[in-house]
Amino acid sequence: MRRITRAALKPAALVAAVSSPRRGAVVSFSGVVRAVHAGRRVTAVAYDCFAPLAEKELERILRQAEKKWPVAAAAAHRVGELRVGQASLAVAAASTHRPEAFAACRWIVEQVKRRLPVWKKERYTGGEGRWLPGCALHRAGSRA
Amino acid sequence: MKRKIYLYGRLRDAGLGSSVALDLPPRATARQALAALKTALGPRGALLSGCALAGEDAVLAPSDRVPARGILAALPPVCGG
Repeated sequence: MRRITRAALKPAALVAAVSSPRRGAVVSFSGVVRAVHAGRRVTAVAYDCFAPLAEKELERILRQAEKKWPVAAAAAHRVGELRVGQASLAVAAASTHRPEAFAACRWIVEQVKRRLPVWKKERYTGGEGRWLPGCALHRAGSRA
Repeated sequence: MKRKIYLYGRLRDAGLGSSVALDLPPRATARQALAALKTALGPRGALLSGCALAGEDAVLAPSDRVPARGILAALPPVCGG
Protein backbone atom coordinates (compact mmCIF):
# COMPACT_ATOMS: atom_id res chain seq x y z
CA MET A 1 0.00 0.00 0.00
CA ARG A 2 1.44 3.41 -0.95
CA ARG A 3 1.33 5.76 2.00
CA ILE A 4 1.63 8.95 -0.07
CA THR A 5 -1.07 9.11 -2.70
CA ARG A 6 -2.98 11.43 -4.99
CA ALA A 7 -6.06 9.21 -4.69
CA ALA A 8 -8.88 9.62 -2.18
CA LEU A 9 -7.94 8.16 1.21
CA LYS A 10 -9.68 5.06 2.51
CA PRO A 11 -9.66 5.24 6.32
CA ALA A 12 -11.67 2.02 6.56
CA ALA A 13 -8.88 0.17 4.77
CA LEU A 14 -6.36 1.42 7.33
CA VAL A 15 -8.64 0.33 10.18
CA ALA A 16 -8.95 -3.10 8.59
CA ALA A 17 -5.18 -3.33 8.18
CA VAL A 18 -4.52 -2.84 11.91
CA SER A 19 -7.50 -4.74 13.30
CA SER A 20 -7.31 -8.23 14.74
CA PRO A 21 -9.34 -10.31 17.21
CA ARG A 22 -6.66 -9.66 19.86
CA ARG A 23 -6.94 -5.87 19.56
CA GLY A 24 -9.96 -4.52 21.39
CA ALA A 25 -9.27 -0.84 20.78
CA VAL A 26 -9.06 0.71 17.34
CA VAL A 27 -8.56 4.47 17.07
CA SER A 28 -8.68 6.29 13.76
CA PHE A 29 -8.07 9.91 12.79
CA SER A 30 -8.90 11.80 9.62
CA GLY A 31 -7.55 15.25 8.91
CA VAL A 32 -9.97 17.08 6.61
CA VAL A 33 -9.68 20.33 4.65
CA ARG A 34 -11.78 22.91 6.48
CA ALA A 35 -13.67 25.85 5.01
CA VAL A 36 -12.25 28.63 7.18
CA HIS A 37 -8.72 29.24 8.43
CA ALA A 38 -7.64 32.30 10.42
CA GLY A 39 -10.84 34.04 9.41
CA ARG A 40 -10.39 33.49 5.68
CA ARG A 41 -12.73 31.41 3.56
CA VAL A 42 -10.78 28.48 2.07
CA THR A 43 -11.85 26.98 -1.25
CA ALA A 44 -9.11 24.33 -1.57
CA VAL A 45 -5.69 23.30 -0.30
CA ALA A 46 -2.85 22.23 -2.59
CA TYR A 47 -0.52 19.71 -0.92
CA ASP A 48 3.05 19.58 -2.21
CA CYS A 49 5.31 16.69 -1.20
CA PHE A 50 8.84 15.35 -1.60
CA ALA A 51 7.50 11.85 -2.10
CA PRO A 52 10.67 9.70 -1.95
CA LEU A 53 11.53 10.96 1.52
CA ALA A 54 7.91 11.26 2.69
CA GLU A 55 7.24 7.57 2.03
CA LYS A 56 10.27 6.55 4.07
CA GLU A 57 9.66 9.04 6.87
CA LEU A 58 6.04 7.97 7.29
CA GLU A 59 7.17 4.36 7.45
CA ARG A 60 9.74 5.31 10.13
CA ILE A 61 7.08 7.15 12.15
CA LEU A 62 4.77 4.13 12.08
CA ARG A 63 7.50 1.69 13.10
CA GLN A 64 8.60 4.03 15.92
CA ALA A 65 5.01 4.18 17.20
CA GLU A 66 4.90 0.39 17.20
CA LYS A 67 8.06 0.34 19.31
CA LYS A 68 6.79 2.95 21.78
CA TRP A 69 3.40 1.28 22.31
CA PRO A 70 2.03 -2.24 21.80
CA VAL A 71 0.03 -1.20 18.75
CA ALA A 72 -0.35 -1.90 15.08
CA ALA A 73 -0.34 1.36 13.12
CA ALA A 74 -1.10 2.50 9.58
CA ALA A 75 -1.36 5.89 7.90
CA ALA A 76 -1.68 7.57 4.52
CA HIS A 77 -1.30 11.17 3.34
CA ARG A 78 -3.00 12.53 0.26
CA VAL A 79 -1.27 15.12 -1.95
CA GLY A 80 -2.43 17.30 -4.81
CA GLU A 81 -5.37 19.70 -4.85
CA LEU A 82 -8.00 18.90 -2.22
CA ARG A 83 -11.37 20.55 -1.80
CA VAL A 84 -13.06 21.45 1.45
CA GLY A 85 -14.27 18.30 3.19
CA GLN A 86 -11.74 15.97 1.59
CA ALA A 87 -9.36 14.03 3.84
CA SER A 88 -5.64 14.78 3.63
CA LEU A 89 -4.41 12.48 6.39
CA ALA A 90 -5.71 9.21 7.76
CA VAL A 91 -4.21 7.31 10.70
CA ALA A 92 -5.29 4.13 12.44
CA ALA A 93 -3.83 2.50 15.56
CA ALA A 94 -5.05 -0.65 17.25
CA SER A 95 -4.11 -2.17 20.58
CA THR A 96 -5.40 -4.49 23.25
CA HIS A 97 -6.64 -1.52 25.30
CA ARG A 98 -7.60 2.04 24.43
CA PRO A 99 -4.90 4.15 26.21
CA GLU A 100 -2.12 2.87 23.98
CA ALA A 101 -4.24 3.16 20.83
CA PHE A 102 -5.24 6.77 21.58
CA ALA A 103 -1.68 7.74 22.53
CA ALA A 104 -0.11 6.16 19.47
CA CYS A 105 -2.66 7.64 17.07
CA ARG A 106 -2.15 11.15 18.45
CA TRP A 107 1.64 10.79 18.45
CA ILE A 108 1.63 9.70 14.81
CA VAL A 109 -0.47 12.71 13.79
CA GLU A 110 1.88 15.10 15.60
CA GLN A 111 4.97 13.47 14.10
CA VAL A 112 3.48 13.69 10.62
CA LYS A 113 2.98 17.42 11.09
CA ARG A 114 6.56 17.90 12.32
CA ARG A 115 8.51 15.50 10.14
CA LEU A 116 6.79 14.67 6.88
CA PRO A 117 8.09 16.71 3.90
CA VAL A 118 4.66 18.02 2.95
CA TRP A 119 3.55 21.62 2.41
CA LYS A 120 0.14 23.12 1.93
CA LYS A 121 -0.97 26.16 0.02
CA GLU A 122 -4.40 27.40 0.91
CA ARG A 123 -6.51 28.94 -1.82
CA TYR A 124 -9.07 31.52 -0.79
CA THR A 125 -12.24 32.98 -2.18
CA GLY A 126 -11.07 35.54 -4.71
CA GLY A 127 -8.34 33.30 -6.09
CA GLU A 128 -5.30 34.24 -4.03
CA GLY A 129 -3.28 31.62 -2.18
CA ARG A 130 -0.75 31.34 0.65
CA TRP A 131 1.82 28.74 1.71
CA LEU A 132 1.26 27.98 5.37
CA PRO A 133 4.14 28.29 7.86
CA GLY A 134 5.42 25.11 9.47
CA CYS A 135 8.15 23.29 11.38
CA ALA A 136 11.77 23.43 10.21
CA LEU A 137 13.22 19.99 9.41
CA HIS A 138 16.38 18.70 11.05
CA ARG A 139 18.25 15.48 10.64
CA ALA A 140 17.42 13.19 13.54
CA GLY A 141 19.71 14.10 16.42
CA SER A 142 20.95 17.37 14.93
CA ARG A 143 20.03 21.03 14.88
CA ALA A 144 20.84 23.46 12.05
CA MET B 1 30.26 19.21 -9.48
CA LYS B 2 26.95 20.11 -11.10
CA ARG B 3 23.94 19.13 -9.00
CA LYS B 4 20.25 19.72 -9.52
CA ILE B 5 18.27 20.70 -6.43
CA TYR B 6 14.51 20.28 -6.50
CA LEU B 7 12.41 22.98 -4.87
CA TYR B 8 9.30 22.43 -2.77
CA GLY B 9 6.59 24.42 -1.03
CA ARG B 10 7.11 28.17 -1.00
CA LEU B 11 10.39 27.76 -2.92
CA ARG B 12 8.35 26.83 -5.99
CA ASP B 13 7.18 30.44 -6.09
CA ALA B 14 10.73 31.83 -6.12
CA GLY B 15 10.81 32.23 -9.89
CA LEU B 16 13.30 29.41 -10.55
CA GLY B 17 10.77 26.73 -11.47
CA SER B 18 10.73 23.32 -9.82
CA SER B 19 14.51 22.82 -9.77
CA VAL B 20 17.79 24.65 -10.12
CA ALA B 21 21.19 23.38 -11.31
CA LEU B 22 24.09 24.53 -9.16
CA ASP B 23 27.84 24.26 -9.49
CA LEU B 24 29.06 22.97 -6.12
CA PRO B 25 32.65 22.46 -4.96
CA PRO B 26 33.82 18.84 -4.66
CA ARG B 27 32.76 17.28 -1.35
CA ALA B 28 30.44 20.22 -0.71
CA THR B 29 28.44 20.24 2.50
CA ALA B 30 24.71 20.81 2.80
CA ARG B 31 25.49 24.24 4.27
CA GLN B 32 27.53 25.15 1.18
CA ALA B 33 24.80 23.86 -1.13
CA LEU B 34 22.17 25.96 0.61
CA ALA B 35 24.47 29.00 0.41
CA ALA B 36 24.83 28.46 -3.34
CA LEU B 37 21.08 28.12 -3.62
CA LYS B 38 20.61 31.36 -1.70
CA THR B 39 22.87 33.11 -4.21
CA ALA B 40 20.82 31.65 -7.07
CA LEU B 41 17.63 32.93 -5.47
CA GLY B 42 19.01 36.47 -5.41
CA PRO B 43 16.58 38.93 -3.84
CA ARG B 44 14.29 36.06 -2.88
CA GLY B 45 17.02 34.36 -0.83
CA ALA B 46 15.09 35.03 2.38
CA LEU B 47 12.72 32.26 1.31
CA LEU B 48 15.47 29.83 2.38
CA SER B 49 15.06 30.78 6.03
CA GLY B 50 14.41 27.59 7.98
CA CYS B 51 14.99 25.37 4.95
CA ALA B 52 16.94 22.09 5.00
CA LEU B 53 18.64 20.06 2.31
CA ALA B 54 17.60 16.42 1.95
CA GLY B 55 18.31 13.36 -0.09
CA GLU B 56 15.84 10.59 -0.85
CA ASP B 57 16.45 8.87 2.49
CA ALA B 58 16.97 11.59 5.06
CA VAL B 59 17.35 15.26 5.89
CA LEU B 60 21.01 16.33 5.83
CA ALA B 61 22.67 18.12 8.73
CA PRO B 62 24.45 21.33 7.66
CA SER B 63 27.86 19.67 8.01
CA ASP B 64 26.89 16.54 6.04
CA ARG B 65 28.49 16.03 2.63
CA VAL B 66 26.14 16.34 -0.30
CA PRO B 67 25.70 12.81 -1.68
CA ALA B 68 27.28 12.35 -5.08
CA ARG B 69 24.20 10.66 -6.51
CA GLY B 70 20.46 10.67 -6.06
CA ILE B 71 17.83 13.35 -5.79
CA LEU B 72 18.53 16.47 -3.74
CA ALA B 73 15.74 18.68 -2.45
CA ALA B 74 15.48 21.99 -0.61
CA LEU B 75 12.73 21.65 1.98
CA PRO B 76 11.01 24.60 3.66
CA PRO B 77 9.45 24.17 7.12
CA VAL B 78 6.80 21.46 6.80
CA CYS B 79 3.08 21.57 7.55
CA GLY B 80 1.51 18.30 6.51
CA GLY B 81 -1.62 16.78 7.86
